[in-house]
This record gives sequence, C-alpha cells and structure tokens, in this order.
Amino acid sequence: MSKLGRVIEAVEKYNQHVLDEVKRARTEKRFGKQLLDRWDEIKRNIKVGRAPTGLELPRLALPEIDEPGEIARYLLGDGLPGEFPFLNGAYKEMYLEPLQETGSYAKNGHGKNGHGKNGETAVAKLQETEEPTRLFSGMGLPDDTNKRFHYLGAHQRSKRLSTAFDGPTLYGIDSDADGVFGKIGEGGVAVDTVEDMERLYAGFDMGAPSFSASMTISGPAPIIMAMYIAAAKRRFGDSVVPKLRGTIQADIFKEVQAQNETIFPVEASLRFLGDMMEWTTRNMPRWYPVSISGYHIGEAGSTPVQQAAYTLSNGFAYAEMMANCGMSADEFGPRLSFFLDCGLDVEYIALTRVSRRIWAIGMRDAFGAGARAQMFKVHTQTSGRSLIAAEFRNNLTRTAAELMLAYMNGTNSCHSNSADEPFTTPSEEWIRLSAHGQAILLDESGIFKHTMNMLSGSPGMKAVERAVEAAILEEFREIERLGGVLAAVENRYQRSQIQNAAHRYEQQIYDGTRPIIALNKYRDGAEEMPEVELVRTSRAKQQLQVDRLKKFKKKNAAKAGKALDKLAAVAETNENCFPALLEAAEVCSLGQISGRLQEVVGRFRPMV
Amino acid sequence: MAAPIRILTAVPICDGHDSAINTINLEFIRHGIEVVYLGYHRYAEDIVRAAIQEDVRAIGISSYNGGHVEFFAEVVRQLKKRGANDIKVFGGGGGTITHDDQRVMQKRGVDKIFFAGTSLTDMTQWVRDRYGKVPKRSGGKTPEMRLARKLTEIEDSYANGKRPKKKKIENRKSKIENTKVIGFTGPGGAGKTTLIDELILRLLHREPKARIAILSHDPSVVGEGALLGDRATMINSQDDRVFMRSMATRGQAGGLSPATEDCLRLLAQSGFDYVIIETVGTGQEAMPFQNKLVDQTVLVMNPDYGARLQLQKIVMLDLADIVVVNKSDLDRAKTAMSEIERRLEGSGREQKLISTVAKRHRDRGVDELCDLLGREPEKKKK
Repeated sequence: MSKLGRVIEAVEKYNQHVLDEVKRARTEKRFGKQLLDRWDEIKRNIKVGRAPTGLELPRLALPEIDEPGEIARYLLGDGLPGEFPFLNGAYKEMYLEPLQETGSYAKNGHGKNGHGKNGETAVAKLQETEEPTRLFSGMGLPDDTNKRFHYLGAHQRSKRLSTAFDGPTLYGIDSDADGVFGKIGEGGVAVDTVEDMERLYAGFDMGAPSFSASMTISGPAPIIMAMYIAAAKRRFGDSVVPKLRGTIQADIFKEVQAQNETIFPVEASLRFLGDMMEWTTRNMPRWYPVSISGYHIGEAGSTPVQQAAYTLSNGFAYAEMMANCGMSADEFGPRLSFFLDCGLDVEYIALTRVSRRIWAIGMRDAFGAGARAQMFKVHTQTSGRSLIAAEFRNNLTRTAAELMLAYMNGTNSCHSNSADEPFTTPSEEWIRLSAHGQAILLDESGIFKHTMNMLSGSPGMKAVERAVEAAILEEFREIERLGGVLAAVENRYQRSQIQNAAHRYEQQIYDGTRPIIALNKYRDGAEEMPEVELVRTSRAKQQLQVDRLKKFKKKNAAKAGKALDKLAAVAETNENCFPALLEAAEVCSLGQISGRLQEVVGRFRPMV
Repeated sequence: MAAPIRILTAVPICDGHDSAINTINLEFIRHGIEVVYLGYHRYAEDIVRAAIQEDVRAIGISSYNGGHVEFFAEVVRQLKKRGANDIKVFGGGGGTITHDDQRVMQKRGVDKIFFAGTSLTDMTQWVRDRYGKVPKRSGGKTPEMRLARKLTEIEDSYANGKRPKKKKIENRKSKIENTKVIGFTGPGGAGKTTLIDELILRLLHREPKARIAILSHDPSVVGEGALLGDRATMINSQDDRVFMRSMATRGQAGGLSPATEDCLRLLAQSGFDYVIIETVGTGQEAMPFQNKLVDQTVLVMNPDYGARLQLQKIVMLDLADIVVVNKSDLDRAKTAMSEIERRLEGSGREQKLISTVAKRHRDRGVDELCDLLGREPEKKKK
C-alpha cells in the first residue's frame, strides 16, 4: 500500500471516529457534559464587533446547537476555524477587520496600497506586516523584467516578486538553440545563466526580510533554483543563503498530468526535485521548495473533483518522497503549499474546504504530522477557462462569483483574472477592475470582514462537502488501485481523465447542457473585441540575449566542462546532486546543464 | 468511398498547451478526418519533415506561448524550401493571436487563423470543405516526397475500392538485398512504440549512415477518422535519417491496413537499411505479416497478460523470431519470463526471449534486442 492508501484509510477511519464520538456524546454522560462545557466556553470567549451601521455581530458564528452529539459532530467533524480538521479555515481569523473597540481602525494593506500587475491580493493574516501584494512579471530580457519589478514595487515597503519565464527557459533550452529564436522573452522572461539571474533581481536586497521571490517553473526548477542561489551568493556572499525567502513551483506531477513542461523522465525529475527540496529545506529555512498546483489541472479541463483529488494525491506523493529522504513530517510539512483553480461549478462551494480537511487528516494520521504541518495553505486563482471572448464584459461577473466562492472557502490568498484575458495579455484598465473586485468584496462589502464562518456550513454546503469528499476518495482509490500516484501517472490515468472531462465540457457547451451566456445562450451575435496593444519582445532584444549567452559560454568554456563532468558523475550515483548543481550553475548555462543531465537520465517522453 | 482527409496537428516548440488541440483532434476524428498528431513542444523542422513524410493535406498548429508569427512563418518557409508548398498551414492561438498578427501571418502564407470563440463544428466544417477536395498535386520534388506521395496513391486506391496498378510495384525486384524488414506486433499497451523509438536511437548511433523507415498503424473504422498518435511519443525518431509513415487500418482486422502490403513492398524497395513495421495492438491469434517481405518478427508482450493459460492462445508465440517481455520492472515480470520460456520450449523453433524496460534510459535489454536486429554481415556490402 502506498501512503495514499493510508490516507484513504485515515479519512475513512476519522469519519467513523466522528460518528462514534457523536454516539458516545449522547450516551456517556460525562463526555456529554465535557462537550457542553467546552461549547459554552467557546461561546463565552467570542468577541463582539460592530458593523458601520451599528449592528453588533459576533466575531465567530457557530451553529445553534446545544446537544452533545451535534456539538461533537461539529467540533470533531468540521473543527473551529484554525482547528483540526480545519474544514472552516486554516487560521482562527481571516479577512476580519480589527475590532473597532480595540485599537485604531487601521486597515490591512489590500485596497489601499494598490495592487500588483495582475491584481494579486493576499489577505491571510491580520497581523501581517508586509503588504499582501505579489508583483507578478516576466517579459523580454531580465533587464526589462527587473525594470518592471522596480516600477511595480516603487511604493511598497516589502518586495514580493513573482516571476514568469519564457518558453525556452521553461523547457531548459538555451536562447541560442536552433529553432527557438522567436520564443525568446515571449510570455515570460528569458533566463539562460547566473548573470541573467543577477540582472533579473538587480537593485533588490535578496537577503532582506522584506524581499521574497516566487518563480513559476517546474521542469528545470532545480537548475533555476541553483542559479538563483548562485546569483544571490555573487552579490551578497555565502551568508545570504539561509536568509533567502520565496518559493519555486517545482511541481512535476502536474506537469506530466496537465501542463507538459517536463524535460526529464518522471522518475529522474522527481529525484532532482527531491535533491533540491532536501537541500533547501535544510539550508534555507525560509524557502518553500514546492507549490503543489491544481490550477493547471483545472485549466486543462479537469472536473473540480479531479482537480482536488489529483492535487491532494500529488501532495501526499511529495510528502512521501520527502519522508523517504529521511525528513520528518514536521520538518517538510510546513514547507508545502497549494495553488487551486476556482470556477463556477457547484463543487467550488466547498472544494477547498474539503481539501483542507483531507490534507489535515492525511498528514496527521498517515504521516504523523503536528499541527503546523497539517495546515493546507492555499493560493486560489479564479478560472481563466471560464472566461470567454464573446461579450467579454460578462467576465467581470464570472470572476466576481468565483472570488466569492474562493473566499467562502477560506483561501489564504487569491488572484482574480482580468476580463480581457480571453483575447489578450491583461491591460491596465481591466487589471484594475479585477483587483478592485477583491477589494469591493473584502473591504467594501460586509460579507467577510465582521464574522468568521459567515457563510460556512449551510445545509447545501454540507451536502456538497459530503458528495465532494466521497468523490475525491473514490479518485484516490482508483489511483491506489493503479499502484499509487507515480504508477497512475505512467499509466497516463490522470491525463486521460482530464482529457475526457475537457472533451465532455466542450460537448456540453455544444449541446447546450452547459449554458455559457453570450456563447450558447442569449447570444446576440455582435462581436466586440477591442484591438489591444501587446507587449512583444523585439528581434534586437532577442539577439542581445543570444549574444550575451554566447559570450558567457565562451568565457566559461573550460570551467563549464569540468563542472558538467562532475555533475554528470554525481547524477550517476544516488547522492544528492544539488551541491554539484550549485557549482555548475556558476559557470554553465541552463541548456548546458539540462542537456548534460539528459545524457545521463534521458529525455522526457511525451504522453498524449 | 473517398479517401479520408489526412492532416497533421501539433503544438509549437516550448509550448505545452495541448488541451485545445486534444479536443480539436477528437472532433476532427469524429468527422472522418485522419489526424497525424505530432504532440506538443515540436520544432518547425520536425513538423515539416513529418508533414511531408505523412503526405498530409494540411498542418494545423495550436499555439499559446507566443512567438506564433515567427513560428507559423517558419513552417511555411520550410515547406516551400522543401518543395511542399501544396501542404497548407492553418491554426489558432485562442486570444494570443491578434487580428493584426493574423494579417501578417496570412501575408506570409498561412491559410487560416481561427480566433477564440470559434465552435468546434465550424472549425471542422471549414477543414473538411477546404481540404476535402482532392487537389492536383505534384509528384514531389525530392525522393522523400515522391515516396510519400506514392504511398498516398496506394492508400487512396484501396480506399476508393480499386487496387493500385500493381505493375508499378511488382515490376521491380521484390526487395533490395540489404534492406532488413522487421515486424513488431503485440497487445496494446505493451510498449511497442517506445521500444521501437529506443531501438531507432541505438540504430542511428550504431550505424551512422543507416536510413530507417517506420510503418506504424492505428485502428480505424471504414469511413471514420483516426488518431495516428505514435509520433507524439517518439522522441528519437524525429530525424532526417528516419522516414515514418502512420496508417489507419480503415476497417481491416488483424492490425494492419488493406494497403499495408503494397506500402511495405514499396518501402522495402526504396533503399532503406531497415524497414520497421508496427501493427496495431491486437489479440495475437495469428501472424499479421503474411508476405515474405518481413525478415524478422518481434512479439512485444506485457507481463500482465493474465493467467498462464492465456499464453496457449497466443499463436504469435509460436511464430515470432524474438519475444520481448517489456515493462519487466513490473512485479509480475519474473513469473511472466519463466512462463513464457516454458511456453516457447513447446514451439520447437529457435526463438529468442528478451526482457526489457523500454522506458528506462540506456536499458540493457533494449541493447540486447538491438544486437539481435543486426543485418547479416554478407548483406552489408553493397
């Protein structure tokens, strides 16, 4: 049995445990009394706040129950916000404005300090001192992106930079390779060498507590990670390493299942990732070495249940991998974070809630994790796939509904898409509207700022929770039958499930069983698609990137050969190859390293 | 009945967005189109080579990661350079291709760009209308293209219910002396395609001048389309020394197409060092290769064939020259090897049994298999 099998057992067992305890609460007087006392105490400690209209409201809403069995069902089955199994939230309080009675009416960052380039607003914890905004960019050459980072961060105390890479970088290919010229700097920034990495973050204090970097890359993640560390060391010395803060996506399972940016065979990819995770967990205590992503699975066309099931099972597979490296669940657990898609299907009413619960039970009971490692911390993005080009202004409404669902689920941070995304890179006007959508929901409306659990636990939501949890467990069982996550991946189980779902979705649009307004319902035929200005990388810039790379290669030719030989030799063994990768990153290009490693472990064979 | 339209679809280099193309492929197939799917992250050069070898009417490119103006133009340019400008190029990129881009792309020779919001039905209809008429085409400027077009002629004759003019083929020697023809068969999911691709890697390396042809098959029903997807998973066979042709069975049972025999004969006469033919994954109740062109037959098995008794039903175990148990990293592989070994003892022939893990880089079993596929030394001299 793989660890996933144990997770299935753990959830089933826990659900039975809840039922048993409900029964015990009703039959054992002493236990019943304990629960009633605890319930009273919880209620007594709830503070009361006041809405701007003067209405008094509790900071935490609880179901109106006074019978021990129901209290047991609630406290054990759902848990209070911030308590196991975390159905109602990873933290005790989220999104709430400070109590009016206590202290000033100082607002949290969002909505006041402006938003990132793509309107990403995080609002996890009230006590957060830095702005919750991540500044997302990735365009042209490293200098261009760097300039953009400085522009976006000009008025922020903290610099939280999120980086998108261009196609060649995502595939571990050098900019001077044949056939990729037109792709240089398109859709993200081109990074070939440690020097590019230095240019990318020039002018930022990479070791400062107020600086953090997020890198959206998976296939060559260990190489890019090594270049990032090498760049930081060049500028700030070796002592900077333990201070580095940030995250790298590094989710190879979802690449193979959905996003297809994979360069090594799966097992070799996992080995390199494992090496990186082990090294960073031990040497960079403030780094998150993987972002387990369901977003791309959802966008590739999966159903919501598939998205949650594959993302969670991938997460458990990484946990198993790290446990196999000899790390304890409490060591690696808090380093795992998630990224989910939120669309308009009914499952999204409770998808993240259920995911949080399954993760907590699995981590506690199958991995022996403590409280901090049980928490499912998640960033949500509204669904890009749900947006359409026809009468695109409707996308504002779609995104607003999705935002509402995301916050109802207690997401730790959220990104709202721009209405113009179906046909262009988002423009300033629509980015602003999408970011303001979040501010209106959280700051302006009273829905989320006065009371925790404001929209948690309606009978309908409970019905969705039960159905979704059962369906996720059924997916787990199928994966387990196939031999676990890796075996299922190699059988292309997840891929084919996602593709079938995507095709069914298209058919439903075609036969009308899935109404899409202005597409297959209430369509008036008038097309409006504003012509937009695009950000493209000029040929001159692309040539500059190639020239710089060639110069770097010439300068380092002798050293590069030696470093690559050493790396290849370590890769042939079972040793952790991240230290050798760190050395190679000083003098070799991305393509040189990935090419040499491919000689040792082979290339990824695409699945259809 | 008219021959099905054959088109090739692909996603450009450094782009893994295959969700749209997968859905579009299925829609094309449902409407009778045979789709040679090359997969994602493909170089323009590989797309053009494949389109010429497969002799498709058009190439459909689904792009998302940018750089489309250059990429589409590069495909058109390379088609022209190779004298194949009668192969058309169309495609789309959701919202990433603007109307301005489209104008530039069409000026550079792209046939059509579909924008976001086009229905699958409209797209399929357009493709059928535009590429459905059998065009008057040149016989081909290069030997490779001429060969590809002759193969199309043969395939289409069968689809039209006529046998091709046999004389053209039979007048020549039945086979060129030093061409070795190897047939691969075995159940679906045994890993034939991966195994062949790994062998190609080794053959190209071992014989730096060798040229190899591959004839691969995927199932289809008469009058319907087919997904010809073997190329999408082959990473070593995208090479100028490899000529690959994907065929749909067009309703014929047994894992081959009605046109296979003639096509194979033509390939065997075309000066390749190796010709590899791969059947559809089927039940192994009979020898699929009836003609004498095949020098060596390889049966590729999956260790999970079920109960031992199943082996008695596999006639190919008596007929194959080499039996390969692939995926021998699976738990059942050891048992499978010994059961099959016992089974082969009954055949009374000298057969080789090899265990491989084709997906493993530098697998020793595949090396061993490759050694068995060498040509006879005396035949090596021209």
